[in-house]
Amino acid sequence: MAVLRAQQTKQRDLLDVPVVGRFLRWKHARTSLQAVLLVVSALILYDGFWGPQLAPKNLAGVLPWVHWRGFVVLALLIAGNIFCMACPFMLPRRLAKKLLPANRPWPKFIRNKWLAIGVLLIFFWAYEAFDLWASPWLTAWVVLTYFVAAFAIDGIFKGAAFCKYVCPIGQFHFVHGMVSPLEVKVRQPDICGSCPTKDCIKGRYAQRPEQDILRSSRETIPTQEASSPKASGWTAKSHPHPDPLPQGGGGESTSVQGFGTRFSDGDSDNEADRTRHSGESRNPDERDQIGQSEVRHLLRHSRESAPRHGARNPSSSEFQPQSGMPDIPRSSPQPARDVSTPAGLQLVQTGCELWLFQERKVGNMDCTFCLDCIQACPYDNVGIQLRAPTSEFRKLDQWHSGVGALTQRTDLAALVIVLVFAAFVNAFGMVPPVYALEQWLATQLGVTSEPVVLGVLFIVGLVALPFVLVTAAAWSSRALVGSSESLAATATRFSFALIPIGFGMWLAHYGFHFLIGALTAVPVTQSFLSDFGVPLLGEPRWDLAAIVPDSWLVPLELVLLELGMLVSLTVGYRISRRQQSSVARAIRALLPWAVIIVLMFFTGAWMMTQPMEMRGIILG
Amino acid sequence: MHIARTGSAVLLALLSVLVLNACGPRAEQSGDLDVTILSVSPDPAAVGDAVIILQVRDADGNPVEGATIEVEGTMTHAGMQPVIVETEALGEGKYATQDFRFTMGGDWVIIVRATLAEGSTAERRVDLKGVQGEMKMDMKSDQDKEGN
Repeated sequence: MAVLRAQQTKQRDLLDVPVVGRFLRWKHARTSLQAVLLVVSALILYDGFWGPQLAPKNLAGVLPWVHWRGFVVLALLIAGNIFCMACPFMLPRRLAKKLLPANRPWPKFIRNKWLAIGVLLIFFWAYEAFDLWASPWLTAWVVLTYFVAAFAIDGIFKGAAFCKYVCPIGQFHFVHGMVSPLEVKVRQPDICGSCPTKDCIKGRYAQRPEQDILRSSRETIPTQEASSPKASGWTAKSHPHPDPLPQGGGGESTSVQGFGTRFSDGDSDNEADRTRHSGESRNPDERDQIGQSEVRHLLRHSRESAPRHGARNPSSSEFQPQSGMPDIPRSSPQPARDVSTPAGLQLVQTGCELWLFQERKVGNMDCTFCLDCIQACPYDNVGIQLRAPTSEFRKLDQWHSGVGALTQRTDLAALVIVLVFAAFVNAFGMVPPVYALEQWLATQLGVTSEPVVLGVLFIVGLVALPFVLVTAAAWSSRALVGSSESLAATATRFSFALIPIGFGMWLAHYGFHFLIGALTAVPVTQSFLSDFGVPLLGEPRWDLAAIVPDSWLVPLELVLLELGMLVSLTVGYRISRRQQSSVARAIRALLPWAVIIVLMFFTGAWMMTQPMEMRGIILG
Repeated sequence: MHIARTGSAVLLALLSVLVLNACGPRAEQSGDLDVTILSVSPDPAAVGDAVIILQVRDADGNPVEGATIEVEGTMTHAGMQPVIVETEALGEGKYATQDFRFTMGGDWVIIVRATLAEGSTAERRVDLKGVQGEMKMDMKSDQDKEGN
């Protein structure tokens, strides 16, 4: 054990940091963070619906659009996906899991990012078309809609469908988390290789209290789904452990008695695995089964892996690395048996609900930093580790658990492209040339409806223009090196290189708002409390706003954008070099993408030097 | 489990109340005053020094004299420091702002707070859209501070 700890300490791990680490290990750490943001959300809802309808005077105008957005990008830059960890929308979601069936599989045809892309496009358009930033009332409705959507979707569907397939904020975090310096990952892969239970994804079960057992004995345990592998998707939450795992280490191996599981899915394990391990291209439906297939294997493997692990003190013999593929076994000597959950067991710790199996998890894509895996792992073998912010881009071709190979995910590439271009379109909405463009467009189209004009602008800026540019770059890239790779494959591969420049733009934009308005939360809160007869520190200090001198802003924005450009170029070169046999060919293949990246930099820099205007209605 | 169910009930009740009551914003201006922006100099309004002349009338349409008028200029977007200045009475219910500056282009809201001669107070809001930007941020305030 001492050796293991010594090996672990070689990695810089947030969990090893005093106070912070202890807090994050606390079982209720995430809930406590969520509770704080839930209270803030409740205040936003209240003030948004009933408070003064002037954004600078309202918590719903200030906290989401100035502070939350600023904190999000800063957190992604210096840490990771902290705001998914503290997401208040997860509390109603957990409530839904308790109150509603949550037993339907997420429809196969949208087990990808296309729905989220659609929601993102609608949100970006609505933000400008209805001036959400200027309307506390509409902002409150957006927040409320979020709560209801998270509750409804995850109350109907299994797993974390809302986070993985719908939430536009989550997608923003997932994509830009790729440049974050922290990653939830396994400390010692060898330990996972020998782990027989895979609690990190299946969850941990314990004996139920006696009274619950008596009650459940009167209930009928559903078996219909178990009897039909094709019945209705799958579930990982019904993996029972006969023995509650101790939290504090020690303990001895325990034989599994009555170990069973029930799950169902509609496709062949072997087919899914063959596709996965061969690395060949697969269609979205096949990809969507990635996590499901993995869990099915895990569940089988677990049944045959008695005796159980020795809680947090496994013997060395249990940690023999598996030969060959560092993965779960490809095949099981026993066919899957559908067994309903035995009475007397209850889930005490969920595994990853986004189907990210730690042993094969790569990077931050789809990781909400929920820490369920950390809580579930009986070996204390999952940490929040420091990494080089660009390290994830070296693994684009590598298989990501629950995600697949990023270079084979056209939908992910489309998500990246929309977010990158949205960074510029969103900022473009704040400089005067956009007003001239809107007026011109309205005249050409013969319309006076601003939402219509903005709709056209967003379709052009977030769909048509990116499509043309990316297609042209991919075509040129292939032509310059005589590549036989498909156009879509080249476009998908290089699209990830645009993430840093896009993130640089988001940082510059949201960072600007945060830096010039961080202290506005003080007078708005004072005003809010004074409305309830609770004067806090006297009269509201409306003179409080910026936390840096104005003259710092433009240089700071340019530095952030420039860093984004340089990192994008570096990442682009690495992506290219992996494909090409020589440096010269790599540079040639990168050239069209480098042109786009540099153009983006100059476009962003031009926007930052424009006179800034915060206008709502432009037409008419 | 009991705590979870209680929490669930509270959360559902909260959401229900919000949904049932979220039918519109409350009124937020006070007093029976009619405030009109007579002019903004320069015209059109642009980033930089400006003088706003207001006409303040009571509910009967009579000019309000002898009031203490404070003008706050703020933007429709949150996160900007508002500009709060006093006014000078010009007679006939007209008041001119002193040392007012538009610090950024865009849509502004002019908030007029009046303390009338008899001690009552009133607050009105007037939209002032489309203030033209001249530079990214108005740097004069910083320069002034450095000069001072």
